[in-house]
Amino acid sequence: MANASWVFTPTVPHFNKPMISPLISTFRSRVYPHDRILKRVLCSSAVHGADKVSVSELKASRVVGKGCKLVGCGSAVPKLEVSNDDLSKIVDTSDEWISVRTGIRNRRVITGKDKMTGLAVEAAQKALEMAEVDADDVDLLLLCTSTPDDLFGSAPQIQAALGCKGNPLAFDITAACSGFVLGLVSASCYIRGGGFKNVLVIGADALSRYVDWTDRGTCILFGDAAGAVLVQACESEDDGVFGFDLHSDGEGYRHLHTGIKANEEFGTNGSVVDFPPKRSSYSSIQMNGKEVFRFACRVVPQSIEIALENAGLTRSSIDWLLLHQANQRILDAVATRLEIPADRVISNLANYGNTSAASIPLALDEAVRSGKVKPGQTIATSGFGAGLTWGSAIIRWN
Amino acid sequence: MAYASVILTPTFKLSSSTGINPSGLCSPKFATERVRCSGTSPKSAAPRLVSKGCKLVGCGSAVPKQKFSNDDLAKIVDTNDEWISSRTGILNRHILTGTENLTSLAVEAAQKALEMAEVNADDVDLILFCSSTPDELFGGAPEVQKTLGCKRNPPAFDIRAACSGFLLGLVSASCHIRGGGFKNVLVIGADCVTRYLDWTDKKTCVLFGDAAGAVLLQACDSEEDGLYGFDLHTDGFGNKHLNAGMKHIETNLASGCDGDSLGFSPTHASFSYIQMNGQEVFRFVVKVVPESIKASLAKASFRLSDIDWLLVHQANQRIIDHLATKLEFPMDRVISNVKNYGNTSAASIPLALDEAVRSGKVKEGQTIVTAGFGAGLSWGSAVVRWG
Repeated sequence: MANASWVFTPTVPHFNKPMISPLISTFRSRVYPHDRILKRVLCSSAVHGADKVSVSELKASRVVGKGCKLVGCGSAVPKLEVSNDDLSKIVDTSDEWISVRTGIRNRRVITGKDKMTGLAVEAAQKALEMAEVDADDVDLLLLCTSTPDDLFGSAPQIQAALGCKGNPLAFDITAACSGFVLGLVSASCYIRGGGFKNVLVIGADALSRYVDWTDRGTCILFGDAAGAVLVQACESEDDGVFGFDLHSDGEGYRHLHTGIKANEEFGTNGSVVDFPPKRSSYSSIQMNGKEVFRFACRVVPQSIEIALENAGLTRSSIDWLLLHQANQRILDAVATRLEIPADRVISNLANYGNTSAASIPLALDEAVRSGKVKPGQTIATSGFGAGLTWGSAIIRWN
Repeated sequence: MAYASVILTPTFKLSSSTGINPSGLCSPKFATERVRCSGTSPKSAAPRLVSKGCKLVGCGSAVPKQKFSNDDLAKIVDTNDEWISSRTGILNRHILTGTENLTSLAVEAAQKALEMAEVNADDVDLILFCSSTPDELFGGAPEVQKTLGCKRNPPAFDIRAACSGFLLGLVSASCHIRGGGFKNVLVIGADCVTRYLDWTDKKTCVLFGDAAGAVLLQACDSEEDGLYGFDLHTDGFGNKHLNAGMKHIETNLASGCDGDSLGFSPTHASFSYIQMNGQEVFRFVVKVVPESIKASLAKASFRLSDIDWLLVHQANQRIIDHLATKLEFPMDRVISNVKNYGNTSAASIPLALDEAVRSGKVKEGQTIVTAGFGAGLSWGSAVVRWG
């Protein structure tokens, strides 16, 4: 299966050292003016009228970084905790049923005037603090979410709330529970291929707003949260995103979705051609749990194996397995298949449930701050979910 | 103002006779060999390699069947053709009706782009669906991937960035090609903003239409590179001028149950109507967009006089005219089709590009400065070559 995957190893020599050869000088003098050549691979921030900048100034500018590393993380959850017992009062379920089948005991839910963006800002601030990077130095903010507070996306408001002064680009990526891994891989592409330097990747979701609270098959599963990671450009030898593997299969859409429904109350004029258009909103989450479970157990181990191959690493290199925190049974099944011992599997879904795009950075943050995940350790991470979409990456925690 | 932009010169040519490029940095050929040899196991799939260039090789677009004129709108809201056309330049717009949906428009646009590019759906390795109004909360991209028949399960995800969406998508695609080894990236801009309009508000409902447009961006050698420079920004403080915020609707719990047991009353979210302060948005656009275009040109080492076409987000004719005038760019080199379609948000740039290409206006090898701007507030520009 052809797939998009990236080959990068930490042992790849540093590309950017000039190669000294008489042939180069010949080329330089024969073919191109020196300053144009240097411009070719330099990217800049806050460069005005670049063609007026001297060669020495260009040399001092950032060269497109060939590496990227994870340098900070943070997370935030709502205050209100809803236990399995609480849920058993409104739907026909029990703590025993939920915890045995899913591993979930509690989840957090946004209430009142709280917003998902508030959580995202808190998570991002903590990540910046850990990374010792100023908000003003962030040059790209990716908000991975399916549940923004605004139709047009919530990344810009987070950027404003963080106080990023340079008007750095900020936009949303929508990819459900795979969102964070896709965001992480995208961040590496923006750094390697676009010259960005400090990319905040935030995974945040408030699925409680799209859950049918009368449906015991789904309302027990989800919680709200936000997590963030700062990905920073670096030299190749410090590179911390070693390989990835990403996929979608739209045929699986029917197993997990929440499609548009037209609201009858905002009616039309009743004419044959429905104009003006009916007001739209999204329905509640519909899920075929069995199919999604099967899908995850099948594709995730494969995807991690491919990402490992692309990274030039083997299973034995993995210090931690960090999967999207959907369900403990999925975590166990994948770990068993990959022969990764249970004590190397990061899991916090018992406390938070499935927080969609937030789940991976939330779990990572707890594992880092508790001292579990140490600098230099290698993590195999995988997101999977609605789309159906899935993706894995082999990363190093810096 | 700190921002990330990339300087690439179109005239840079790599030597093909040696493995060393004139800058003294490793050429792609040399780099290629290094990446292949190190760290790949014998069993792995052919590794993807960094390509230094990317080019626009195909485009397509699609609009809903039903067209609505200003006179049609005048029947349901207090306005008239003269008012709308003189202030916005818009005469007609297309709106999804019946069983039409955004996904089907996006697929049609994408199919046409692939056809023009002579690229098979199976060779697409990434789909970026730029939309704020997908048919699915979890994103519209996977369904597009399925309907196109991309058999190799390429990743497909959404970028939500309002009217700047397509431009961001284009730049994202270039980053994924240059920095992630992707080869054929479908960038689709599609929106049906009309689903979120207050059809009693004559200030907004007259402006928008539904559409989809697509471009195929393909990896290539540096000498063929067709995305010369870009400049992208967001100012979240401007959110108050253009937004469609979330509102909560009380949901029903099962009978006999109440929210006290949960500690909160569950609500179901939906988005409010689009709210816009037209004057502030206009002011914002005419201030930041020319600056951004100048920055992109500088990064690309182009002068405006080198550029063949100006293609900005088709918000309304006044904005388009104002920008061209401020830049002192000749009007006959400005692409505009807003009068037929209104503001189609993320679809507007690829829709206008597609019409201009297929009509023979934009020719292969010509350079275009393109700029997007809108809710966020976000904005950006890029200097590209068609073909």
